[in-house]
Formats: sequence, structure tokens, C-alpha cells
Amino acid sequence: MKHTLRQVFHSGKFVAGFCILVALLLLIAIYPLFVKGDPLAIIGQGTFFPPGTYVNTYDSIYAPNTYTLNLKDAAANRIAQRLPEKDREEMKTWLVAYGIPEEQIDVNDIKALLDIWFENYDPNESLGMIYAKQRYYQRLNDSIRNLLSIEGVILAEKNPETGELQEVGIVNQTDYVNINEVANVRVLPLGTDNFGRDVLTELVRATAVSLEIGLVAGVIATLIGLTLGLLAGYIGGWVDDFIMFITNLFTVIPSFVLLILISFSIGQEKRGAVTIAIVIGLTSWVWTTRAVRSQVMSLRNRDHVNLSKLSGHSIFYIITHDIFPYIASYVVMALILQISSAILAEASLSILGLGPRTTDVPTLGLMMNWAMIYQAHIMGRWWAYLPVIIMIALITFSMNLMNTGLDQVFNPTLRE
Amino acid sequence: MKRRITILSILLVLAVVLSACGGTATTEVPAETTAAPTEPTEKTEEPTEAPTETEEVPSGEVVLPRKETMYFNGQQWGSVVCWNPYSSSCNNAMTIAQQDNARVLMFETPYLYNMLDGQVYPLLADGDFAWDEGRTQITFKIKPAAHWSDGTPVTAEDVAYTWATHVKYDTATGASNKAYIADIVAEDAQTVVIKAVLGENGQALNPLLVQSYLSSNYVIQKAWTQKLEARVGEDSAALLTDPADDVVWSGPYTKFYTDDTKVILIRDENYWGQDASMWGKLPIPKYLGHMIYKDNAAGTTAFKAGEVDVSQQFIANVQDLWLKEGLPVSTYLPEAPYHIGASLPTAFFNLGSYGLDQLAVRKAIAIAVDYDTIIANAMTNQSATFDQVPRSLMNPTPGEQALYDHDAVKDLQFAGKDIEGAKKLLDDAGIVDTDGDGWREFEGQNLHYVATAPNGWSDWQAAIEVVAAAGKEIGIDITTNYPEWAVYQTIVTNWPLPEKDFDIFMMWSDGAGPTQPWSRIRHLMSSEFAETTNNWNGNWGGYKNADADALIQAIPSMTDEAALKEAYTELVRIYLTDIPSFTLMYRPQSFHTVNESVWTNFPHEGDGTVPPVPPLDLMDGWSVAGLYNVTLVNP
Amino acid sequence: MKGYRKYFLNKLLWLFITLIFAFVLNFFLPRLMPGDPVAAIVGRLAQGMSDTTGMKAVYERYAELFGVDKPMIQQFFIYVRNVLKGDFGLSFSQFPRPVADILSSSIMWTIGLQFPAIIVGWVIGNVLGAVAAYSRKGWDKVIMPVSIFVSNIPAFGMAVILLAIFAVDLKWFPTSGGYGYDLIPNLSWQFVKSVFVHYQLPFWSIVLVAIGGQAIGMRSMSIYELNADYVKYARFMGIKDRTIIKYVFRNAMLPQITGLALSIGTMVGGALIAEIIFSYPGLGYTLLNGVMGQDYPLISASTLIITIMVLLANFIIEIVYGLIDPRIKAAQAE
Repeated sequence: MKHTLRQVFHSGKFVAGFCILVALLLLIAIYPLFVKGDPLAIIGQGTFFPPGTYVNTYDSIYAPNTYTLNLKDAAANRIAQRLPEKDREEMKTWLVAYGIPEEQIDVNDIKALLDIWFENYDPNESLGMIYAKQRYYQRLNDSIRNLLSIEGVILAEKNPETGELQEVGIVNQTDYVNINEVANVRVLPLGTDNFGRDVLTELVRATAVSLEIGLVAGVIATLIGLTLGLLAGYIGGWVDDFIMFITNLFTVIPSFVLLILISFSIGQEKRGAVTIAIVIGLTSWVWTTRAVRSQVMSLRNRDHVNLSKLSGHSIFYIITHDIFPYIASYVVMALILQISSAILAEASLSILGLGPRTTDVPTLGLMMNWAMIYQAHIMGRWWAYLPVIIMIALITFSMNLMNTGLDQVFNPTLRE
Repeated sequence: MKRRITILSILLVLAVVLSACGGTATTEVPAETTAAPTEPTEKTEEPTEAPTETEEVPSGEVVLPRKETMYFNGQQWGSVVCWNPYSSSCNNAMTIAQQDNARVLMFETPYLYNMLDGQVYPLLADGDFAWDEGRTQITFKIKPAAHWSDGTPVTAEDVAYTWATHVKYDTATGASNKAYIADIVAEDAQTVVIKAVLGENGQALNPLLVQSYLSSNYVIQKAWTQKLEARVGEDSAALLTDPADDVVWSGPYTKFYTDDTKVILIRDENYWGQDASMWGKLPIPKYLGHMIYKDNAAGTTAFKAGEVDVSQQFIANVQDLWLKEGLPVSTYLPEAPYHIGASLPTAFFNLGSYGLDQLAVRKAIAIAVDYDTIIANAMTNQSATFDQVPRSLMNPTPGEQALYDHDAVKDLQFAGKDIEGAKKLLDDAGIVDTDGDGWREFEGQNLHYVATAPNGWSDWQAAIEVVAAAGKEIGIDITTNYPEWAVYQTIVTNWPLPEKDFDIFMMWSDGAGPTQPWSRIRHLMSSEFAETTNNWNGNWGGYKNADADALIQAIPSMTDEAALKEAYTELVRIYLTDIPSFTLMYRPQSFHTVNESVWTNFPHEGDGTVPPVPPLDLMDGWSVAGLYNVTLVNP
Repeated sequence: MKGYRKYFLNKLLWLFITLIFAFVLNFFLPRLMPGDPVAAIVGRLAQGMSDTTGMKAVYERYAELFGVDKPMIQQFFIYVRNVLKGDFGLSFSQFPRPVADILSSSIMWTIGLQFPAIIVGWVIGNVLGAVAAYSRKGWDKVIMPVSIFVSNIPAFGMAVILLAIFAVDLKWFPTSGGYGYDLIPNLSWQFVKSVFVHYQLPFWSIVLVAIGGQAIGMRSMSIYELNADYVKYARFMGIKDRTIIKYVFRNAMLPQITGLALSIGTMVGGALIAEIIFSYPGLGYTLLNGVMGQDYPLISASTLIITIMVLLANFIIEIVYGLIDPRIKAAQAE
């Protein structure tokens, strides 16, 4: 046993896969210790906030210290963000279309450009442009008001008695706060999803749930497959015929179709993560049965089995003592493959809207499903779906690496 | 030797497969010039039954010129099944939709409803319709210019025969209108008289519904109907399942080509509407196309690529298309909510559920819900907020908003997220948590509810999540549950609702139409639908209020505007007081987002059209007028 | 040859028994789903109407038309009679379209997409696997991990990534549909080209995922065979390497061919997600819609087609095996 384990851990592929899996498990175990809170809590009012550090504006104003930094390029940065060159070119286009001679417009002299713009621009003038363009100019016109102002912004509070606004302070353009002194800062490394949930927190929890689903489904499928395969392979005869008949039935009605039918019939209200796992397990044992059966058949007539038979051991005893140990390594590999394919099956089901109930727990498939419903993949919201795909690929990749590694250990001919 | 055979056989299989796949592409092809295209498989298997994909010979054009074609999305899901205007299940979204804003591209209604000003405008009809003195019948004329695609004139006889057929074969239209319309007769070739079913007072039982027939139901040719009847041997089922490839139409477009991936309509160059008495010209695009996308995402991708001009899909965060991606895309309104809201997706309380018969519980839940989050997340701000359009039974259109007195019900309004208020309400009603498990009890039993929406209806699901979150905040345990639609609808439409699982559930309300807001109010509150089975109308929660019933019954016959306003205001008051259900957001009649890469001059707010063209994708009701206004960006 | 006939008849018998049972299951399984398909249709009719009081009558008529008011057993025998006549009935969800019509227009797309994709993935995968097994060192180090990784990107992930990169960002390929949105099918170069271009992304999204799995399998099998005793013996006998390799790979191929036959069964389900993401016409989506719309006739007929395809593929493989595989030949003689 010890020797086998040592051998297993000598396989580079197995170790690589094992390390990835352990890293993922550690992430699942450790992350919740640092980021507490319900992974399904809706924190964002709005959808798909991009990844980044979110600083509370209100708390920034009330930060204990305000620092004045006279940075040279601050004003330029500010203007560049509110009026990038592309927009200045567009302003020129409008002015030219309006009839201003091109040579009078210099897109690099912002002050002159703004002067000439505010002098001439009329939001009601369509100039034969399409609506999208007209509205673009209207928005642009609104956004560049006070662009060159050097005044600060006045803060006012509502007087609770009279309801009037009273000036309470001013925020100057040179005011800074130290982010460490702001009461509320939230880092969202992967932004938020369509519900306004923190994607990273959700992803970690979803990975755990998906692994659970994979494990439950994999164990069920392997147990069924193993039992049927052992019975069919060892006993043979009509038992074999019958089991192979059932297996064939499950082959000709493909498991994915069955999976869809069953999941739909169960109804979403009863589709917890475990239920889905069981359904996946119950529909995916077929190839394990076939594989175990053929292994057993090749063992059936080995000498030690015959010897055991002659000694009058029961079928159960022979199967558990003389057959099973010889295929145990094979069964472990089958289990690993079943787990990884169950994770994929859950994801595929969820994408079709037939996955586990949305509100209980996140799963990788559900995250993918909702990201796609809210069209993250075509609106460039990569953070909502790409990490999910990568996570699924990593899990199954690590398992298949381990499997290949094991294969090489247990099949000496495959060793390099 | 054997290896060579193996390789050869593999190659052979490959070749067969490749040619087979090429075959799909080529076999269903109409020859470029004259041959009538039919699907090859149909030829062998279903020579008569199957709806042939195209009967007409595409006039030689195999590439639709982009500048003569306008593309849509979001209307047609799945393949077209038939072209039979008597059937309601043709899945032919581009041409057959008899509804409040009837789709009039191929078949036409006498009048066109305009959801923006609430008026109807004559199409096949000539001038306005008129009620007689005693409000027992409506008379209107048919335009002399109107004619069918076979050249024969549209007559009053066609209108009468269409109705007679609906009744005789008990179509959906017949079944739902015969309680209000006694008969439709042709006085002469041009004059139609609609006789209403009369109520106890000797007047039309429901003048509103009689009127609305004129703008929501097609006129179908008598001669063709008779041909159809002869073909099906007057068998009702056969009549409704006839694919009707030979149908005669009166509208500006007709079928050109359909298959599993698209529907293309072609302009009828002989369309009667180019007569000066109607539009005075033909609609601008020669072809109208609609690809069949499998989901919203695919449709949006094509829309972004400029392969779709008018999108009827919900596009999450639509503003990003112009703000972030700089695409030439616009919606009817320049800023959020971007569209004109028309219907009120509503969460109904199951009044048969334990504790939900208590007003305090219903109200507490309703005022605790964070509607701003629902609107921001579920609808990505494509709905007016309840600050902008206060809660009532009316949709956000100005016409309906003017129908009730906002100030009179002001103190009944609630904007949501009022956790403290909700807690106080429950405390005052004595519904408190006595056993310390965190959940309040009513008469010793924990308040535990299940809030539901159909699975896959993403905006409703996202909204119901927020409702559940609100319950937890105020000590009422609300969990969510999303059955498949197939199951959901059977349960919701059949009283009694199950004890658990359907305590708070989402359903729709009516959108904009000629009978609104009356019909919407009736469907939300009238006790005639309470506790019934096979109920596709409304009031699924089983609400009963005699005062509301009386008002709902009186309104259709009311003509005095002040009295009408008073009645509507009273209904809003009852609704906001009793809270039998609560609206979660506003939803447009149609999403109407346009990509101005090829076409422009689509309807948009303040476009100066008189009467205003509503943003209904240029095909529903009066919005079809938009097809005569569009222009090319680069002619 | 007598042994072979017995083998053949035995297989044929099982084929029929399996077919019959599968047919019965195909009929009953969908009908055991909860929900009411007639209500779905009536509900669809009722939407957008201002008055729907008469819907009860409509409901009853449809229920009668579909025959769902009869006992299940009676429905089954009606169904059997109709199917024997080649009539699969009318679809519920696309009523009144005949099921045969729906299937005939979508199945060619599925076969056209999936069949070549499976074969191409299988061929490329096997070649790569064989090369990796034969060359061991250099190639193997590259092909194996890459194969494993690529084959582990979920199919939908591959489709979404291909769509986002090649269609949305780079715009090299169209985003959706089976052929150009502005085309009417015809026999022109332009059309053929359009079909070809639209074919690429869905095709590769399936092939890329398939290659990896096949390569891994083939590599293992080949290495196993390369180290088998008969190879050593042949080498010892001085038989040319070339000849040995030929036998090795032929033997390694046999299990792979079984795998190929089985993957025919996953054809419809496998294409489903590619079909949805690329809006490609096909049977997978038709079947899914059938399930969602509780379209019993459509589900039964689709699953029946899949069943028959898998059965036939399996049967053919077994028959061919019986002819060529010496081990099975030996068993026949017993």
C-alpha cells in the first residue's frame, strides 16, 4: 500500500494534478475565513460592476484628514478623462457640419474649442445625423459643462427643520484622502454579477458545491457501475445478459437526454444540488459497468479465482476478495473520471436552465447560466463568465492529470 | 491490404458525410430562376399536410439587398408553422398576431390602435366608427380603395363572414368575443354594423370590448374562407390546422421565404394602401427579415453586428451599446428607462394562504421590498422607478396616467425598502415573534411563504429574489421556488392554489390597448375571475371586493370623463389600500431598440410625427406608420 | 461460417428486443413528466387578448385533438399504429406542424454538423495519439498535456470563447445561423461559401474538445499494444518494424471504433449547446424545446431517431467486429 502510494506520488502528472486540486481545496477552505458573508447576498444595485477597488464616496468626504496635493498633471488627467481626444474630434465634426470653417477649430486647444462649441452648439439641430449621433452630442454637451472650472464642489446639507440647503463644506480639486483612512473600502477582485453579487465569493462557494455534486454523483455512478459490472462479469449467463440489456437500453437512450427529461420532471423547486448530483449519478454509470465487466471477465478464469471457487467460497467472498482487489486501481480511476464528468454534466444542465435551484447555493453551472442570460459574454463582461470556465477546466484538468498519472503507475507498460 | 481498406472506408464515410452536409444546403434551394422550391423531404413524406416552406417563387433574388431589407429580432422564436389567420397557433409572429395592438403587415384590421395617444385610426375602415343612439350597435364603412391581394375589393361582407366563421368554428377569437358581440352584418358593400350583446339596461353589455374588436381582429377574405371550408369539409379542427399556403391577404407584405433559420416577407407592390386615401405610398423597405435566434444572446450579438435593424429583445444594459461600444444604437427615450412602459409585471398574494388574508402582512411585505434594486438589477434600469411613476393600476403612458387623480391617493403610495415601517405595521397588528426563532407568528404559526416565478423567466426570477430578501429583513421567512413554466401555468390558472409553494407568485398584467386600463384593472381585481379554474384572465390570488366589482362593471358604459376619472381614482385607492397584489416594475409593450447602421428615422421621442408613432417595432397597430417614414442612412 | 450466422442472429435478436423496450420507454418517459401541454398551448393563445373567458372550450377542444384525455395505454396503441404507418403525429409545441416535418428539416443540420465533427475529431485525435505513443519523448511531452487541457475545457466554454474571440471581437466569422442572414438558399458559390463559413465555429468548438479525449485514449491503447508480448515476439522474429506497427495500431484502433459508435449516441445532446450558442439549426435544440413545451410526440420521435441511430451504429460495429476481430471469431467457434 505504502509502496503504491509512493509510486503514485512519483508520477509527475499525478502530482501536478494533485497540486492543482489541493490548491483549489485550500482556496475553498481558507477564503471564507477572510471574506465573510453570504455568497448570495445582493450587494450591488445594478449589474456587472467591473473588478476593482470600490471606495465609499460619502466616507471619503468625511475622512478624518484631507490632504492637499498639488500634482501637475491632475487637471490634465481630469480633462483627458472627461473629454478624450476622440470626443474632441467628434466635436470638430459637428462644428464643421454646422458650417464653422475647419481651420478655425483646433482640437488641441481645449479652451478655444469649448468656447466655439458652447457658442454654436444647439441640441435641437439634427444636421441630418442619425439619432444615435444626435444623442451622443447631447450627452457630450451635458458632460463637458464646467470642464475647465477650477472651483471646488460645494457640499450642502438639508436643514432638518426648514428643509433648506445649507453649505457645510467644499471639496477642492486638489483634495485627497488616504484610502486607509476611508471607513468603507471594498475590493471586488472579480466585480459583481447580474444580481449584484460578489463574483469571487460566489465562485469560491460554487466551486465547493460543484465538487460536492461531482463527488456524490461520481460515487453513485461508480457504485452502481461497479456492482453491475462485477455481477455481470463474474456470474455471466442470464445475469450478464440481463445487465447488458439494461446497459444497452441506457446507451440507446443517451444519458444526456435522460438527464434533461428527469431534471425537467423533478421540477426546479425540488432540484437541490444533491438531487441533481443523484440524478447525474443515476444516469452516468453505463460506461463504468461496461468497463468493469470486461475487466472482470478477463479475471474470471485466473488461477487464483478458480482456486477460490474450488475452496467453496461464496460468490460474494470471491468477488470481494479475489476480484475486487485486482480492479481496485481501475475503479479509482473510473471514479475520478466520473467526478470530473459529473461536474461538466451539472454545468451543461444548468446552462440549459435545468440545473439546481438558483437561490440555495451557487454552482459553477448556475453562474455560467446567469452570466449568459444577462449576455455577459457578448457585452464584454469577462469577469462574470471567464473565471467560471477556467475554474471548471482547472478542476477537470487536475482530475484527468491525476487519472493519467495513475494509469501510468498501474499499467506498467504505459510508464515512460 | 486490410489497412488500405480501412483507410478507404474512412475516406468514403467522410465523403458521404460531407456531401450529405452540403446536400442540406443545396437541396432545399429554389433554383435561381423559376422552379418552385419545396423541401425535398416533404415531397416524399407529407405531400399535402406539411406547410410548404415557400409556395411563391422568389423572384430571382437570392441575396437580399441590404438597403432594401429591414431586419428584426425578438419576435419569431422557432419556425413558422402556418399562414392561417384563423389559427392562433401558427407561430407566425411576423404576420399573425391578433391582439390589442394587432400586427398588420400581412392581414389588416379595420382600425389601428395607437398606444401613445390612446386613439384608433382607420385602416381598412373609412372614417371613424359610430355608436347608435342607444349604444346597441356600431356602424362603420370600408374604404373603397381597399382590395385583396387577388385584386377583389374588401367589402363589408368579408368582415361579416370573418366573424361568422370565428363563431361557427369556435376559434379563440370567436370564443372570447361572442359574449359581447351578437352579430356582425353587412348593410351594403361598404357598411358594416356590429350588433352588441345588450345588457339589462338595453345598452351594449360591454361597449369597450365591442369597440376593441375593430382594432384587434383581422378581416379575412370571404371567398378564400369558403375555399378553406370546402377543403376541410367544415371540420373545425381541420380548419384550424390548415397551413393556408394559398391565403389571400390585404396588407403591404406577404411571405417570401421561410425555413428553420429565417422568415422573409416581401412587399406587395399592388398593396391598396398606396392609394391617397390611406398612406399614399408603399412602405419603404422591400423586404422584412427575421432570423430565428435560439436565445436572446444570439439575437443581441447579431444586433450589435448590424445584422438586425429593429430589436424587440431585452438587451441587458442596453446603454452600454452606445456609451461603451459607440455603436449607432438608440432606444425610444434617450435616458433610462429607455422604453415606454406598458404593462405591470405583478406579484400576486395567494389570499387563501395562511396569514396572507391579513392586510398588515401583505402591506408589510409590499412596502419592505427594494424596488430600486429590482429595477436596477432585474431590468437593468429599463423600467421607470416608482418615484418617477407612482404606483397605481395605470401604465406609465401619459394617457393612462391622466385617468386618475394622483394627489387623492398620494398618502397611500409607498416607494419600498421601508423596513422600519413594515416592522412597525406588523408589531402594531400584533404579529410578532413570540418564540424567539427570528420569524414572526400569526396566531401562533410562523409566517413562512414561498415566492415563485416560472423558471427561465430571468427578470421575474431576479425580481422575486429581491422580494424574498425583503421578507427576511422584516421577520417573515420567504423562500423562492421556480417551477418550469409548463407546470407553473397549470397551477396558477387553476384555483385553489396549493397550500404551500404558491403564496406569492409572479404573473403578468395587460399592456397597452383600446380597452385599457379598464381591462387591466378587471384582470387584476375583478372577483368574476377569483377562485375559478382554467383562468387565463387574472386575479389569480382570489381577491374579492364588491365595491371594486361595481366600479369595474360600470366603467365600460361610462361616457362622462369626470365620473370616469373618479371611478378610476377610487379603484386605485382600493388597490393601494387592500394590496391584493403589487407591481414590481414596469415593462414596455415591446422593447424597441434600433441600430442605425443602414436605416434611420425610426420612431423616437419627440420625432415630430402627428399622430405620434409608437415604439412597437413598426408592425403593431399604428406603429406600422413608421415603415413609411424610415430612410436610408447612406442612400 | 455457421458460428458467424449464429452470432449474427443472436445480435439481431438483441437488437430487436432493445429496440422494442427503448420504443416503449421513449413513449412513456416523456408522458410521465408533470405539467399539462394543452394548458401551455391555451396559455399561449390567451396572451395579448383582452378577453379570454371562452378559453375553457378551446382547452377542451385541444385536449381532444391531441388525445391526451384518453388513458395512457390507449394513447400508446394509437401511437404504435400511427408510427407503423410512418405517422409521428402533430407536434404540440409547434402545432399544427407534423413532427416528421420538424425532424426532417432539423436532422440534416445536426448530422451535417455532428457527424463530420465526430469523425474529424476522432481521426485527428487518433493520429495524434498514435504519433504520441510511437514517438514517446518529444511529441508526447507536448501533445499529452495540451490534449488533456483542451479536452477539459467544457464544450460550452469552448463555444463561448470561440464566439467571443473570433465572431464578436475579430469578426472573422459570423455570429449565428446556418447561412448568411441576407441569403435565400440557392445553388451559387456565394451561398455555399456562406454555409461553409457559418459552419466553422460550431464545427471546431466540437472538434477541439473531441480531439483531446481521443488522443489520450489512442495513446494509451497504442502504448499498451506496443508493449504486448506479440510485438516483442515479432521483433524477436525479425519482422520489419513497419509491419509490426501496422498490426499494433490496428489492434489499438478496435476499442476506439467502439467508442466512435457510442459517440453517435451523444451526437444530439453534444451538439445542443453549440446549437444554442451559435443559433445553429438542429435536432438538439428541437428536442430541448420539445421537453420544455411538453411536446410528447416530438420528444418521442426525436429520442426514437437517436435510439435507432445508436442501435444501428452499435450493430454494424458488432457485425464488423465479428468478421475481423480474431478474439470474437474464436468465441463464435466455442
